[in-house]
Amino acid sequence: MSLNVKKVLLYSTVFLGGVSTLIGCSNGSGNSTTVIEPNSGLEVLGDTIKYDPNKLVNNGEPIELEFYVWDDSAIKEIVESYEALYPNVDIKMVVNPWDDYWTKLPLALSGNDGPALFNVHNSHHENIINYMAPYDIPLEDLTADFLGVEPHVIDGEVYYTDYGMMTGVIFYNKDLWANAGLTDNDIPTTWDEFTKVAEKLTIKDGDKITQAGFNMNGDFGNLLSGMPYQLGQTLFDESGTKATVSTDKNVEVAQYFHDLYKEAGVGSGDFGTKAEESFGQGQSAMVYKWGHYNNTLLDKYPDINYGVFEVPTFTEEPFAYDRYNGESTFGINKNADEKEQAVAQDFIRYFLANDDLQKDLCLALSVFPNKYSLAKDDDIKAHPIMSVLTDHINRYIWPGTMPATIENTLKQVAENIIYNGMDIQAALEDGEKTMNADLSKVDFVSSEAKYEYTE
Amino acid sequence: MTTLASKTKTVSMVRSKKGLRSKSEILLRNLVVIGLLAYFTIFLIIPIIIAFVGSFNQWNPLKGEFNYIGLENYLTMFSSGLFWKSIANTFIFSAIVIIFRVALGLGIALAIYSKFVKNKTFFRTIFYMPVVTPLVAVAYVWTFMYNPQIGLVNSTLGMDINWLFDAKYALGSVMMMTIWKDFGYAVVLYIAGLCSLPRDCFEASSIDGANGWQTFCHITLPLLKPTTLFVVVTSLISYLQTYVPIMVMTQGGPGTETYLSSYIIFEEAFVKYNFGYASAMSFVLFILIGLLTMLSFKITNSES
Repeated sequence: MSLNVKKVLLYSTVFLGGVSTLIGCSNGSGNSTTVIEPNSGLEVLGDTIKYDPNKLVNNGEPIELEFYVWDDSAIKEIVESYEALYPNVDIKMVVNPWDDYWTKLPLALSGNDGPALFNVHNSHHENIINYMAPYDIPLEDLTADFLGVEPHVIDGEVYYTDYGMMTGVIFYNKDLWANAGLTDNDIPTTWDEFTKVAEKLTIKDGDKITQAGFNMNGDFGNLLSGMPYQLGQTLFDESGTKATVSTDKNVEVAQYFHDLYKEAGVGSGDFGTKAEESFGQGQSAMVYKWGHYNNTLLDKYPDINYGVFEVPTFTEEPFAYDRYNGESTFGINKNADEKEQAVAQDFIRYFLANDDLQKDLCLALSVFPNKYSLAKDDDIKAHPIMSVLTDHINRYIWPGTMPATIENTLKQVAENIIYNGMDIQAALEDGEKTMNADLSKVDFVSSEAKYEYTE
Repeated sequence: MTTLASKTKTVSMVRSKKGLRSKSEILLRNLVVIGLLAYFTIFLIIPIIIAFVGSFNQWNPLKGEFNYIGLENYLTMFSSGLFWKSIANTFIFSAIVIIFRVALGLGIALAIYSKFVKNKTFFRTIFYMPVVTPLVAVAYVWTFMYNPQIGLVNSTLGMDINWLFDAKYALGSVMMMTIWKDFGYAVVLYIAGLCSLPRDCFEASSIDGANGWQTFCHITLPLLKPTTLFVVVTSLISYLQTYVPIMVMTQGGPGTETYLSSYIIFEEAFVKYNFGYASAMSFVLFILIGLLTMLSFKITNSES
């Protein structure tokens, strides 16, 4: 071997040795001589789930945790608040965009160096549940403080639950509403009334729409999944494992929305191909959107003067107004280091017991809090989305951790009806077939049976 | 003469023997070859083998599921109407885009190569610019251009068509964008091909009194056959795997009207996490691409 090669190898060895030493020294859980005193005199938080901050975490020794999130904006406050309480704890938030998140997270969790804490979304339940540690909080305490815990119980344990719920509402443009001579008294409570209001809000130049009364482009699929509940039609059969989207009631719902476009002419698949943009640009007077659209309007279309009302119904007493989806509490990695898991459990308890932090999070994300103590909170009641949900909040149903095929296929069904002119019954049957073929490959059981009003 | 040849042979042998004797050269050669072999083994061969085995399994690597189900994925695939629809769409898409890419590429290359055109570099750059522009960005811009209310296409043509949501136009609209973005690649290759053609053939045809069209049909086009083959084969391989413009512009819609084979593979693997089924479809696509590429070479070779 030449002298140069030997030199390169020698320098490389020295460099790698140095780097290894530095890495070794920087280990977050290494020894430290800094003495941290326990907190004292701080208020104990919580109703049933209590959190006493007058203590040390990890015996006051420095510890570093990773926290995987797809968006840190709303969660940062919780982490900073916890770190301020315990200066020896360093929670590093690792942000991955949504699409990357759901491939990187399960792979990281399957190894030994995955994050101790992570954001959970129930649509990916199947891929992450095997890597999660149960909460170290008694089930009865959780159910005493939170609505909707029951569907999340697995063999008596809870691995995550919902801190908030999101559902669909109708957003309307107040300026266009006023231009049409409508007032707050005209807010519809039935779909028949809705049609009449939408007709008043529609403006045409000949046959061509210049302002849509109602725009459901991109959202018709969600209407197909949520509105049949009003007629008592669930998304899944009694076994909870097969989709039922082609019954007479499903056809009735699809026919109503089809006729809104094709008969009443209050909108069109060709006018404002994305409802959210069309509403944001003031071209459409009403849209059906889930709560997160409130933030989209605030961020992207701040000039739109909008209001919100609850979805109208087909009957006076609907079985459920719509389906909802829970915003999940954080997950704990069961493969993480024991000390990290202990801190993660403490962090979860801190979050669940802390009303202020949960309220801020719910307000920031426009989700209705599942914590009973927040349901009547003044700030929550004043929020445009939550204010319209308060009266019937227990009349929204959660179908469970639905696989992606349900929403994706219903979107295709909706497009087949609106754009491809497919017969409604045939389109729904075709969609049902696709969904059931996909459902046969996954372990999914609907949570519809756990809905309070299911007979 | 003999002496010169003999000396050359001697030098060559010395170099050869010296090359064989040089340990550093042998070491370098071995390192490079081992490195390449390791790279292709780790990042190509092993994943292909795993995917092939996976195609016989109910496979979701994200939750560690890997259950043998025999030929079920293949049987499901061959009986799926959506799979065959996506294959048909893929062939229509590829054929039309390749025809336009070759025709436009050749036509514009001939125009730029012509002695009547000045500033050849400028035009070559202009036509090549879309090729180096990121596909996702181009697809978003074209989506905006196709907007039925405020899009440039309808306002320029005075039409009222919902390009990306009408089953009659949706796939064609994506093809149009792809042709616009990609034909510059063929332009540059054809210009390079034209520059390398032997001038004596053209001089001879001129002396024989051939007109421009005859020269193009009987001299230029046949001599450009290797370039055409290269453009067609690389385009075929690329377009049979198209999914980015579909994902950005139509998400396979309206309904499933613009599903291409790679898009359905993407959806099965990364939306439904059905990696076994996606692998089965990938293998069929892999074989199809291989067969079509072989066919292209065979046709050209037989004509030669």
